[in-house]
Amino acid sequence: MKRRQRLISVEIRTQQFIQRSLLSHLYQCVLKEERQPDRGNLLDIGNLDLFSRPTMRDRLSNLQEVSNSHVEQMEYAESTVSDTFSNIDLEMELPHEAVVFEDNSPALEDVFSQSQDIHREIQLIRVEIKRLREQNSRMMGVTTMSTIKRDSNAIGADIKARAEGVLARLRDMDGEAHKLEEEYGSNCAVTRIARTQYACLSNGFRDTMFDYNEAEMSHRENCKAQIQRQMEIVGREVTGEEVEEMIEKGQWNIFNDNIMAEGKTARSALSQIEKRHQELVDLETRINGIHEIFLDIALLVEEQGPMLNTIQTNVQKTDEGIQEALVKLNRAKRHDKNNPFKKMFCSCFPCVD
Amino acid sequence: MAPSGLKAVVGEKILNGVIKSVKKDGEWKVLIVDHMSMRILSSCCKMSDILAEGVTIVEDINKRREPISSLEAIYLISPVEKSVRALINDFKDAAFTYKAAHIFFTDTCPDGLFAEIGRSRVSKVVKTLKEINVAFLPYEAQVFSLDDPNSLYSFYSSKPNKDKDKIMENLAEQIATLCDTLKEYPAIRYRKGPEDNARLADEVYQRLTAHKADNPSMGEGADKARSQLLIVDRGFDPISPILHELTFQAMAYDLLDIKQDIYSYQTTGIGNSNDREVLLDEDDELWVQLRHMHIADVTKKVTELLRTFCESKRMCTDNANLKDLSQMLKKMPQYQKELSMYSTHLHLAEACMKKFKGSVDKLCEVEQDLAMGANAEGEPLKDAMKSIVPVLLNNEIGAYEKIRIILLYIFHKKKGIGEENLAKLIQHANIQADSNIITNLQNLGCNIIAGGRNAEQTLPERRERTESTYQLSRWAPIIKDVMENAIEDKLDRKQWPFISDPAPINTTQTAVSSARFGHWHKNKSPTEYRSGPRLIIFVIGGVSQSEMRSAYEVTRATDGKWEVLIGSSHILTPTSFLNDLKSLDQVPNPDS
Repeated sequence: MKRRQRLISVEIRTQQFIQRSLLSHLYQCVLKEERQPDRGNLLDIGNLDLFSRPTMRDRLSNLQEVSNSHVEQMEYAESTVSDTFSNIDLEMELPHEAVVFEDNSPALEDVFSQSQDIHREIQLIRVEIKRLREQNSRMMGVTTMSTIKRDSNAIGADIKARAEGVLARLRDMDGEAHKLEEEYGSNCAVTRIARTQYACLSNGFRDTMFDYNEAEMSHRENCKAQIQRQMEIVGREVTGEEVEEMIEKGQWNIFNDNIMAEGKTARSALSQIEKRHQELVDLETRINGIHEIFLDIALLVEEQGPMLNTIQTNVQKTDEGIQEALVKLNRAKRHDKNNPFKKMFCSCFPCVD
Repeated sequence: MAPSGLKAVVGEKILNGVIKSVKKDGEWKVLIVDHMSMRILSSCCKMSDILAEGVTIVEDINKRREPISSLEAIYLISPVEKSVRALINDFKDAAFTYKAAHIFFTDTCPDGLFAEIGRSRVSKVVKTLKEINVAFLPYEAQVFSLDDPNSLYSFYSSKPNKDKDKIMENLAEQIATLCDTLKEYPAIRYRKGPEDNARLADEVYQRLTAHKADNPSMGEGADKARSQLLIVDRGFDPISPILHELTFQAMAYDLLDIKQDIYSYQTTGIGNSNDREVLLDEDDELWVQLRHMHIADVTKKVTELLRTFCESKRMCTDNANLKDLSQMLKKMPQYQKELSMYSTHLHLAEACMKKFKGSVDKLCEVEQDLAMGANAEGEPLKDAMKSIVPVLLNNEIGAYEKIRIILLYIFHKKKGIGEENLAKLIQHANIQADSNIITNLQNLGCNIIAGGRNAEQTLPERRERTESTYQLSRWAPIIKDVMENAIEDKLDRKQWPFISDPAPINTTQTAVSSARFGHWHKNKSPTEYRSGPRLIIFVIGGVSQSEMRSAYEVTRATDGKWEVLIGSSHILTPTSFLNDLKSLDQVPNPDS
């Protein structure tokens, strides 16, 4: 009962990560590793062609001409002019001096190095998943499976360990982002950078885990199909449902029925089936491992929704309230200056203003 | 599924040409956009795409930004004064806001602004300055928009508009960048009638030639000589934007309140009900499949898809035992996404049908009869007045719906109606407050008052349509006829004159061997290089959803030989169209 409750609550929680998954992003990242060396030879000609065709006009040289012709006169004039303009600027535009922005570059560096690390870990996990896929596909064809199987298990365990590491780091990053938010405010650039990085990394991680799940699931299906085929060879037809049941219940006594049967072929087929069965059982334990991680991911990824990925909503979320405040402040300043009492005092006692 | 068509082309151009081209490993950059470029960017790229290419934050140029002097900035802006000023301001003080600037303009920067940039301190830290020639919004794979909702006012307002020339130049430039991005050099045609068409066509031709001078590979290709660009005015087909359409996309945008393509609704999940917002765009594969289907087909198809999905994954929770639940759980994460897609579209279809059954179904019948001039059996309509009077007298029907019926009645009477008749109709319908919508349509060149302005204007002859349609969806937009005629080269030269002498349309092979084998050495990405001819249609004043759908239908009918792109300054819904019409005779709001 408890287990069912837990499963249902997990259902609820897993329902909470409804985000757009970006397979293209996944492929980009996975294949980026391999694509870059390839770019060197064959495709280079084509690519150069694409970019050297002036679909965009480069006007940097024009700009430099224009700027060079002004540089001599401007450099001296600018320095004197800027001082006198600074007062007027206060009235017309809103310069940066009015509000002091704290120097948050060390925080920024932290954020970047964190996200870089996590990104690298996720890449490594992806490489491992690829290896696992290769192992699995090899296993389908070859009969001597013990070494390959051991490797698969090892890879699976490795992936799980790494994934847990990444999850812990993501959680740290989340904590850091919250701290930054409290320290600098929710619309500060650093906070937004941290949040965006975190969102994209957790998206990427989730896609990677999906991929791993997919790899294991498809292998499971393949094994099942193989078992079915083998059983047909042995002479017994089973449907997919029955195989599932056998896996669940761990009952393999069906095999035992035929143990008295004819010939070596039957026995070797039988042993293969048993190996596959063992293989499946291992798979199941690995999958159980993933699910613990998935539970954690579900908790990790809040209800962000697909809108987070849209640039428009991202940009529009930032607010700008300060401009209004400054305009009002200036007005107040002016009114204050115009205060008649002050004027009287000012005429009696000329003060520096 | 990766988007194809316009979005892919523009997305690739921006990602590769702008962001990747300045990417440096280990260094992050800030991306700064202004309003227009933000819309362009968000319609074809996602945050995670640009994050993967080294952009860590996107800022709006017009908002106050705090200095991040350790990072370089990519400015993707349109060359207007406001943005350039903001750009110069960033580097005006002693402490630069960013370490360096890579500037990308969406189209040609005028000399004055360019000189200003050259004079300012920005020029010292500029590392890149390019004009990317993308000044339009790729709304869908075959639909583009120029993001100017005020254009109906600019072109057709009763008060003379002195900015009209400038606006027309801007429009022409934007259309030229579209052709540039698609590497097309089409023959330009316009509909003979309003002089704006001819002027705009002329401007586009000038700019197109300028672009071709910089970029001689535009329009190269065996079939590209047949590409055409048609310029049409909204008054050519005033019926399509006001008709109630029953295809999914048109119906949803018409009946429901969908702003900025975001559909929000409430889900009743297991236990809790929460608000969900979904973006209806091409990333949603199911939307792409369903959007042009009739609503009846939509509900059928979605339930069918959902059923096969559930069956194949054995997700029926009725007699689930522990084993099934655990199975579901194992496969749950991927299924979540698909299930949520189905649920969204089911909700959307349900909401549309609810509104439809409310009052719209009666209206649709009357509207289709009026628009086609014949009822469902094909008999010509004898007494249109009799069918519309009960609608007009019905107080439950909203004012805009009544106006739509009245307008359709007027268009049905091809020569317009008398003033007293119009006044009587308005009085019956009790819509005096909005009656100027009807009279303002004359600004578009439509024939409203018999014997008044535009007395000679008539709606064009229609093609015979033999495909079977639902009774309430018999109307096909007039532009569909035009598209089909243009593709078959049957478009009348007198009504649709060319700006320049068209290239001789011959079917002889050029010297280069076939398109399939002759260009193997050019690494063309499938998104960019389409070897067939294109038909680009620009509607002045707004394009309706049904016309967008026609573009896809016609493209499909040619088996992919031709690609039809349609676009305008903005996308119309009937409500927005009527709102715009209402304000045509008013003084513009000084803030807008």
